[in-house]
Amino acid sequence: MARMKFLCDAERCIECNGCVTACKNENEVPWGVNRRRVVTINDGVIGAEKSMSVACMHCSDAPCMAVCPVDCFYRTEDGVVLHDKDLCIGCGYCFYACPFGAPQFPQAGAFGMRGKMDKCTFCAGGPEADRSESEFKKYGRNRLAEGKLPACAEMCSTKALLGGDGDVIADIYRERVTRRGKGAEVWGWGTAYGPGKPGAQPPAAGGKS
Amino acid sequence: MLTRTHLAGWCFALMALVAPSAGFAQAAPGSAQQQAERAATQPGNNAPVWREVRSGQANYTTAQGREAGVLVQSSGDTWRQIRNGPITVYGGWLVVLVALAIAAFYLVRGPIKTHDRPTGNLIYRFSVVERWAHWTLAISFCLLAVTGLTILFGKHVLLPVIGYTLFAWLTLLGKNVHNFVGPIFMASIVVFFLIFVKDNWPSKGDLTWIASAGGLFTGKHVPSGRFNAGEKSWFWMGVVFLGIVSSVSGLVLLFPNFEQLRLTMQQAHVVHSVSGILFMTLSLGHIYVGTIGIEGSYQAMRTGYVDESWAKEHHELWYEDAKKQGANRPAAGGGAVPAGAAQARRDE
Amino acid sequence: MRPRRMVVALLAAAAAVFGLAACGESEQVVVYTQGKYQGKPDTKPWDNAPLAYGGNDWTKGDKASWEKQINTRNLGQNEYRRIYNQ
Repeated sequence: MARMKFLCDAERCIECNGCVTACKNENEVPWGVNRRRVVTINDGVIGAEKSMSVACMHCSDAPCMAVCPVDCFYRTEDGVVLHDKDLCIGCGYCFYACPFGAPQFPQAGAFGMRGKMDKCTFCAGGPEADRSESEFKKYGRNRLAEGKLPACAEMCSTKALLGGDGDVIADIYRERVTRRGKGAEVWGWGTAYGPGKPGAQPPAAGGKS
Repeated sequence: MLTRTHLAGWCFALMALVAPSAGFAQAAPGSAQQQAERAATQPGNNAPVWREVRSGQANYTTAQGREAGVLVQSSGDTWRQIRNGPITVYGGWLVVLVALAIAAFYLVRGPIKTHDRPTGNLIYRFSVVERWAHWTLAISFCLLAVTGLTILFGKHVLLPVIGYTLFAWLTLLGKNVHNFVGPIFMASIVVFFLIFVKDNWPSKGDLTWIASAGGLFTGKHVPSGRFNAGEKSWFWMGVVFLGIVSSVSGLVLLFPNFEQLRLTMQQAHVVHSVSGILFMTLSLGHIYVGTIGIEGSYQAMRTGYVDESWAKEHHELWYEDAKKQGANRPAAGGGAVPAGAAQARRDE
Repeated sequence: MRPRRMVVALLAAAAAVFGLAACGESEQVVVYTQGKYQGKPDTKPWDNAPLAYGGNDWTKGDKASWEKQINTRNLGQNEYRRIYNQ
């Protein structure tokens, strides 16, 4: 069974922000909300500059899910972490807990009052009828239900950002690293998916992390 | 069960959350240079870059927003451990156990009645302004307590019973109530403090009162002024100290538009929930003695009047003063005063 | 007799509280019953008919065929295979 994951290859990311644009366009996210962003480390230093595209990593042990006071999150069988905007109360706890800064809040009222949380859905929509108008308005496009993968990864020009079944992506990356000759240790999946301890396994029986 | 590991983890987590409070840890100078050197000697080894990422330092990004340049923030998980661990579990059981203890005490001891029969002579104890100040504070406190409890424990207590839709609707309502009642509560703390501080300065008999817990268990009489040492400690530790701590930490969380960092809000949340739980726990005691615990005390704050024998038995020194100043009125006389407010409860 | 009983009661209470120390977290598992994931309504992606365009190929409700479709899309992200093998 597929376990959906993202992987960003820091050796390849050229900080074109194409993934950010693709995400914004595909999901028509509101102003002020960035479901995905590119962060550049050692910006401008020759030989040391690395860029990373980051969004919701759909963690196996998701901190947002753990702290949500109304328990609005859920995980699909593909390991995608989604949330129900009808339940969300805009408290901001997921934003405190998330290591990646994925949860975003469109400002809904005066004094910085938060609206309903918005985050990357792995282009899997949310708890509305798949591919419906209401799902698109609330959560963006449901590409998984269209037999596609996230727009950001599929259109990445250097294929730095990979998204899809963890096993397939790992294979692609492994092949790449073999050709490159080195660098198996250079990417950081462990942060999101943890070492393979029993408690941190993805949910359904027979799943893979 | 991993209790021991958990506990050790929390201690560590607490330290970790407090330690970097000075702000972001600055990346070691020359980490970029380190990476450049590393790339020359060991191409593909980005360890210095990952170290910088894990430091939580903000890097360059075109995305707008607070801390958008931070790739990974570690304190969030620490906060999660503290909130979902000790605060939820121990905090929740503290409230439950204290409530149970008070219920047990009530079952054993029953309401404390005045020894002498009510004389029918009423003494004016709380002015209209004082009562308004008290009830504004009390009602806003109760609203904040109930909504706060829902946000922290509702998921474990209420949600399994009433289901997602209703619970989320109630919690959304509760969150907004919490946010808008909060400022009223803060303002009423200030008013309450100004009105009541003059009678809450520590005085001579307080130590004796505390030593015998006001005669709560022995039934022995301990004279006190207008407020006894128990009320004074509730005033200073509860209303003043916990009130200020809750208010300040609450303001940090209430207005996230002052560029405060996630770490600041995580710390504020820990402070806010701990002080809130302690505040609620203490308030249980106050609410108990103010309602069913001691007969006549609710009427005092409700109507402003107490019976002479109640005053003599609970606040003897104040009673003497009040008598000298002639604050007592005949029961039948006052128009606004319910006749025999201290003994008859038909108006409640 | 009384203080001893009290100590026992206190220890029991403390043990009970410690025993509950992990109760603040709930298991993050996938439960799909009556069309809902943990109470949140959602359809599974393979329970949709494939779009008419875009070379989609799976049968509605057949998970294996949907995964095959996703797998094909996924392999499209491997430019080595895309260039050399296909």
